[in-house]
Amino acid sequence: MNKVMTAREAISTHVKSGDFLFIGGYICRSPFSAIHEIIRQGINDLTITRSNAADDFDMLIGAGCVKRFIATFLSLGVYGLGRCYRRSLEKGIPHKIEVEEYSNLSLPMMFLAGAMGMPFVPVKDMLGSDLLNVKSFMGENKFKLIDSPFDGKPTLLVPALNPDVGIIHVQQADESGNAQIWGIGGDCQYGANASKKVIVFCERLVSRETIGKDPSRTIVPAPKVVAVVEEPFGAHPGYTPGFYDTDFGFGYLYQQASNTEAGFKDFLKEWVFDLEDRTAYTEHYIKKLGYQTFTKLQAEFDYGYPVSYAY
Amino acid sequence: MTTPGNDYIKPELMACCGSREIEDNDLVIIGTGFPTMSANIAKHIHAPNATMMQESGVIDAQPKRTALSVGDPCLNPGAAMIGGLVEIMGMFLQAGWVDVGFLSGSQVDKYGNINTTVIGDYDHPKSRLPGSGGANPIGAMAKKTLIIALHDKRRLAEKVDFITTPGYIDGPGSREKWGLPPNTGPQVLITNKAVLRFDSDTCEAYLESFHPGNSIEEILDATPWELKVADDVHETEPPTSAELKIIREVLDPGRMISIYEKKGYV
Repeated sequence: MNKVMTAREAISTHVKSGDFLFIGGYICRSPFSAIHEIIRQGINDLTITRSNAADDFDMLIGAGCVKRFIATFLSLGVYGLGRCYRRSLEKGIPHKIEVEEYSNLSLPMMFLAGAMGMPFVPVKDMLGSDLLNVKSFMGENKFKLIDSPFDGKPTLLVPALNPDVGIIHVQQADESGNAQIWGIGGDCQYGANASKKVIVFCERLVSRETIGKDPSRTIVPAPKVVAVVEEPFGAHPGYTPGFYDTDFGFGYLYQQASNTEAGFKDFLKEWVFDLEDRTAYTEHYIKKLGYQTFTKLQAEFDYGYPVSYAY
Repeated sequence: MTTPGNDYIKPELMACCGSREIEDNDLVIIGTGFPTMSANIAKHIHAPNATMMQESGVIDAQPKRTALSVGDPCLNPGAAMIGGLVEIMGMFLQAGWVDVGFLSGSQVDKYGNINTTVIGDYDHPKSRLPGSGGANPIGAMAKKTLIIALHDKRRLAEKVDFITTPGYIDGPGSREKWGLPPNTGPQVLITNKAVLRFDSDTCEAYLESFHPGNSIEEILDATPWELKVADDVHETEPPTSAELKIIREVLDPGRMISIYEKKGYV
């Protein structure tokens, strides 16, 4: 079944205000194209989640799309604290979001549980820390501390998560949604598979036959996928292994812009609202920062050893 | 071997202090900056079989440039294995395989508890920090946690505003009470003035060695709790010529480590 559509169609058809979204990526393969589309369409009241959030989550929060955030971490990496995140929590600009905090073990395990159809999962972290003393919108269901029925030891249970929609950016997918990645995984695989439906953004659309040449790379199979968007350069300013590098210069530009509320608004106007899609974005990038800057980001090719699945 | 280089900078000394805590065959979870530098020095000098991993999913990366994040593109080509968070934080850390974790904190207290969540009240933060990320599970489950912090009365605290990552929590017996794995916890607190180690009875950080140029008095003054001093307190061994050679010629010819001087590590 052909599920290929534009980013605008995919987001307007499958994401609505109030939804609970898993948005994958770990600097690696951030679905920025989807983030921009959500902001452009004015979708709001979202609950968003991912382990180790970065500039893309900061932008969604600053743009006012987010009501709740199931979090472990948010920063701009080498460029320090997330400016919009801070403004939201410290000053209520544009509004104060609600944050439920876990860690980079417990949250991925909650996705794992969700993907496996388990109701909850025991984890060994957060014990003895103040992460157990702060509860937000999940209230008493943030966690349960029990004595293990097996050995009586204190055991922390955290609930499974099943987001309404999972949005990921991958290297390649076919038209029905078989999605393949290589390189750093973060919590992409379990986060996407825990979701009730998945939107796949990809650098390149490939044939079903190509997928079958190396099926071990598929992290989400077609039956879970509702839309496929071919979006080259779609993770920029994050990176995609084998396609392009992290754009540290652009990261600095975002940090400088998001330092002030006005600067952030100007940034959104220039890089999101005034551009209709990713093609326009890439054109604007090249026009503004130069073709050389653009080509310098492009990856060299260093093909791996071809694998054989023959018998 | 131990010719003290007169021109080393504080961050280089601190990286060497971290390196000396890593033993051969250790599995080490590292972040960027000091941890990467320390682990690499150890690998070149005395722990050739130590294996590094990043929480994002990478084991035994072979980066050709300095990684600027634990998800950096340069960690991908050449690694021994790449998975995701569930693999590193679950299959290795939670399963008890990780020997060394390396953390830094905006605020660290005498029991080695670390705050990277909030300065001030949680609901009305004076300054909202990034949050736990991988820090909490690393501090909870790595056999040895090495902590890096700036040594002043703002960064060190009698008690942190928020325990993001448990050290010895409230003191003796606390980790056991909470069911954290046995024989885990903070091993050392490396600051820009000193090396503090944790007393096995009281769980409090005490002064083990002072860096060349930093007096005991100055260190006591800059510590917000009554810092105990080891009977055999001594000067921290400066970087050896072998360590400095590795740092400057192999690991960091661009001297990126010097940015830590601008962050106050002097």
